[in-house]
Amino acid sequence: MSAAGAVRTASGGMLRHKVSALVICAVLLISTASATLGFALLSATSAPFDTAFAAQRGADVTLTVNGLKATGARLAATGHAAGVTASAGPFPEAQVPSSQIDGQPFGPIPLLGRASAGGPVDDLVLNAGHWLTGPGQVVLSGTPQGGGPQPVRLGSVITAGSQTLTVVGFANSVTGQEFGWVTPAEVTRLRPAGVPAESEMLYRFTRAANYAQVNADVAAVSRDLPKGAVSSSTSWLTARQNSNGDGAIMEPFVVAFAVIGLAMAVLIVANVVSGAVAAQYRRIGVLKSLGMTPGQVVTVYLGRIGLPALIGVAAGTVLGDVLSVPLLADSAGVYGVGSQSAPFWALIVAPLGMLALTMLAAFLPALRAGRLSATQAIAAGHAPRTGRGYLVHRVTSRLRLPRPVGIGLAQPFARPGRTLVTLFAIAFGACAVIFAVGLTAGLGRAEQAQTHAAEAPVTIQQNLGQSGGGPAVEGHPVKIAGPGRGPKPPTAAQIAALSSALNARPGTARYVADYFGLVRVQGLSGQATAQVFGSDASWLDLGLMSGRFPSGPGQVDVSNAFLTQSGLKIGDTATVTVPTSGVTGQGPDLRFATSRTDTVTIVGEIFAPSSSPRLLGGPESLPGFTVPANLDQYYVGLKPGTSAAAYIRSLNARFGPSGEWLAMPEQGGQFYLIADALVGLLALMVAVAAGLGVLNTVLMTTRDKVHDLGIFKALGMRPGQTIVMVVCSVIPPAVIAGAIAAPAAAALTTATIKAMAGTAHTGVPASFTDVFSPADLALLALAALAIAAAGALLPASWAARSRPATALRAE
Amino acid sequence: MTLQSDVIQFGGASGGVTKAYQPGVPPALDDVSLSIAAGETVAVMGPSGSGKSTLLNLTAGLDRPTSGEVTVAGQRIDRLGEAALAKFRARHVGIIFQFFNLLEDLTVLDNVLLPAQLAGAPRRKARNRAIELLGDMGIYSRRDDYPARMSGGQRQRVAIARALVNTPELLLADEPTGALDTATGAEIRDLLADLHAQGQTIVLVTHDPGLAGTLADRTVRLVDGKITPDGGLTDLRSSSAPAPTQAGKR
Repeated sequence: MSAAGAVRTASGGMLRHKVSALVICAVLLISTASATLGFALLSATSAPFDTAFAAQRGADVTLTVNGLKATGARLAATGHAAGVTASAGPFPEAQVPSSQIDGQPFGPIPLLGRASAGGPVDDLVLNAGHWLTGPGQVVLSGTPQGGGPQPVRLGSVITAGSQTLTVVGFANSVTGQEFGWVTPAEVTRLRPAGVPAESEMLYRFTRAANYAQVNADVAAVSRDLPKGAVSSSTSWLTARQNSNGDGAIMEPFVVAFAVIGLAMAVLIVANVVSGAVAAQYRRIGVLKSLGMTPGQVVTVYLGRIGLPALIGVAAGTVLGDVLSVPLLADSAGVYGVGSQSAPFWALIVAPLGMLALTMLAAFLPALRAGRLSATQAIAAGHAPRTGRGYLVHRVTSRLRLPRPVGIGLAQPFARPGRTLVTLFAIAFGACAVIFAVGLTAGLGRAEQAQTHAAEAPVTIQQNLGQSGGGPAVEGHPVKIAGPGRGPKPPTAAQIAALSSALNARPGTARYVADYFGLVRVQGLSGQATAQVFGSDASWLDLGLMSGRFPSGPGQVDVSNAFLTQSGLKIGDTATVTVPTSGVTGQGPDLRFATSRTDTVTIVGEIFAPSSSPRLLGGPESLPGFTVPANLDQYYVGLKPGTSAAAYIRSLNARFGPSGEWLAMPEQGGQFYLIADALVGLLALMVAVAAGLGVLNTVLMTTRDKVHDLGIFKALGMRPGQTIVMVVCSVIPPAVIAGAIAAPAAAALTTATIKAMAGTAHTGVPASFTDVFSPADLALLALAALAIAAAGALLPASWAARSRPATALRAE
Repeated sequence: MTLQSDVIQFGGASGGVTKAYQPGVPPALDDVSLSIAAGETVAVMGPSGSGKSTLLNLTAGLDRPTSGEVTVAGQRIDRLGEAALAKFRARHVGIIFQFFNLLEDLTVLDNVLLPAQLAGAPRRKARNRAIELLGDMGIYSRRDDYPARMSGGQRQRVAIARALVNTPELLLADEPTGALDTATGAEIRDLLADLHAQGQTIVLVTHDPGLAGTLADRTVRLVDGKITPDGGLTDLRSSSAPAPTQAGKR
């Protein structure tokens, strides 16, 4: 037989086994898509900022310059200063004071005037919509926020005084911290009267690898400007530090899912492909008896598997790439970088790896078939070796079970090898599902400890539109104005009025003021952040890991970063310098005009995912810190049955649009939303692949036993009984898989959350990892049964529909 | 059990029964009309490919006719859904296959019990009936063995016991001695003759004129899917069929 003839034989065989070809194609599609996605996400977790910074030509330095002191031309000329390799700008800047988005109060927004998204520095990546085409339009930083009480979408209208702006797009800047972009002409129109014009100038330098070089660069360009013209400067090093915080946290669970997904893909593909070849042994025997050589047998069956495999991996690569687009856009948001995309190597390695694996899995059984004599191949192609599983049949027949159930339960023991592979496929799938549930629960608890949304669904902040700052904006990487940094801290009368308003609301259960600011701690080289509650805050979940909540004078809890960097431990004392006026600078350059020093005792360790040391206290912890200048926000707990949205509406109506205070819902961080979405998608893909693995095994077994199926039907087995029998055939491996998967997933959850915490420079309370009770685990182990049953249902229904006479004729 | 006067009625007022497997290919059964009375044993004979097995499959509800009515034990089975057909088979039909079609991974007793279990028969009653039948077939001592360890004759006895366990009105036998040696075939023939003598309605598909001549009240000859022009009704025995009794009861 010629090679072409062999291929023709293969094609003929394949066309007659459409279901098998479809299963191979589907399994490889899902597996390759998972692998591509996994590689893309792994790549995204690897130095995401550096990758995006290089791709988008991020600004090494951004200067904000007072327009009254330096003209645009003079500022533009700094682009030719020594060491500057590229520059962009000047871009006029406008701080739009009080604003509303779709009629809801939103506080002030800083906007930058840019004619185009591209440029030699800080190339913006458009996430949605389009770039500005005229006046009255704005492109916002981040992605559309469809959910929540204050959604911002394409078409949303921002009102600033008498001006309105329509949101026409969303974009990301790798180093910029703007809320959005408008045309340069729009900036002039929006800038409030009497406010000095400011502009931004962006630079890239030959040397900007560290703070010393950046400072030298800033000095170099500042020399060409009038003294006092530079209002502020930010460097890429700060942006990088801000971006990496949350990003690296993703890595452990993405790695965990990638490993699970890849291991299962290997297992299932090997099982599907080797099973497909083994199922053809009888045919191979017949072909050999007609003169086919061993080499031709291998060629034929590699070809037979190859075509559907090729289609599957090609489609899977495309699917993985397509799926990675929204995920990587989200992860870019989390990492605080402009954009991410699946690396080119992932689009090569994933399909080639899967194809190689497929060919290897097909090659070994095909080689075996090629070496068998014709009669041996025909014999090997028949049903499983006699004797296997007989004892189990005998046992189940003695049990008081419906007969189809008993026969189904005994079936897996006839093919122990195939059953083992199925068992592990189900175990991987169930493990992924349980792991996803555990991870989501653990992350939920971490989110809870960070946001307190459950106990305090409402927060109240100073309406900094009236005092120069603004609230945090969902989707924006930075908080526009920090606590106590507005020009006008609330007065005692305003605070008293707020308390009065809260006390008057029937839905108010309790509330607490939260003070936030920078302090210096002896023994720490840089600054530390302090969060101090104005009254009892023990009703908030603060993520206490060890020790207790501060309850007396001079007692504080601290973060893991604080303990690590200071070398202190619970029970030790620390000397804290609290500013009483004039806070300037950051990090090592933090300066206080006046301050007081207190000695505090560390009584506990709190969950705080940050490399920045953190200190948390009660009303008596740091005397002098709970002053209006440090007031960050109020957490408000509501009485049962009170609608948070109605409460917020009512409170804001009471405050008025130009009032001192702004009530808003406490929301989870974007990181948690994206992490949950990622976890869900990855778990779903792994579970679907596991289900396909089960489907394939059941399909192969059903084919093996098709004659028996005919006998059952001839003896009166009803379609419903057939379905029960086939589905029950996956129950034993599913039960064992569930028993393996549940503790494995629990251990994986604990290890992953701890690894995530480690990358976030924090420990975690036991409650974050102990997310499963034994009852929960037992219940979740049913995921294995669900995956198995879902995978078996389709072949079971095919078996139920088959005509008895047809099944009896089958060999 | 109330027996119908005709246990099998192939065809009706609108014509005979046709079964075509593929369009453009001559049908396996072509406009066949046939009635079989309760207690009657009918042999269906004909060359290979003449439609014998198709007729048997349609009678058992294992397959559906392309056109025409098939009434068995008083039920129009050509109209039944798969679940109803399965129930029908379990209650009214016992089938003996040429190659036994025993389930190799079940013991002899479990093989015999299976149709009763699928039909939802009470456990104890089904077991007693199966043991009784195994005793009648002379293989009670082999009840815990697996079919693979038994001779062809013993396997066919198991198959007969299995076919009778639900006390069906109709016993269909597809070449029941076709895979057996002469002596063993004769044993099986005697067993079937006993059943016939007890009033069991039997449809026997066979190539063996001897078997047909010994067992059947009449023979239906099929050629190319049609009953032969002699009417297909050849009385093989002068005596009429025995009066109906409870089929299969021993």
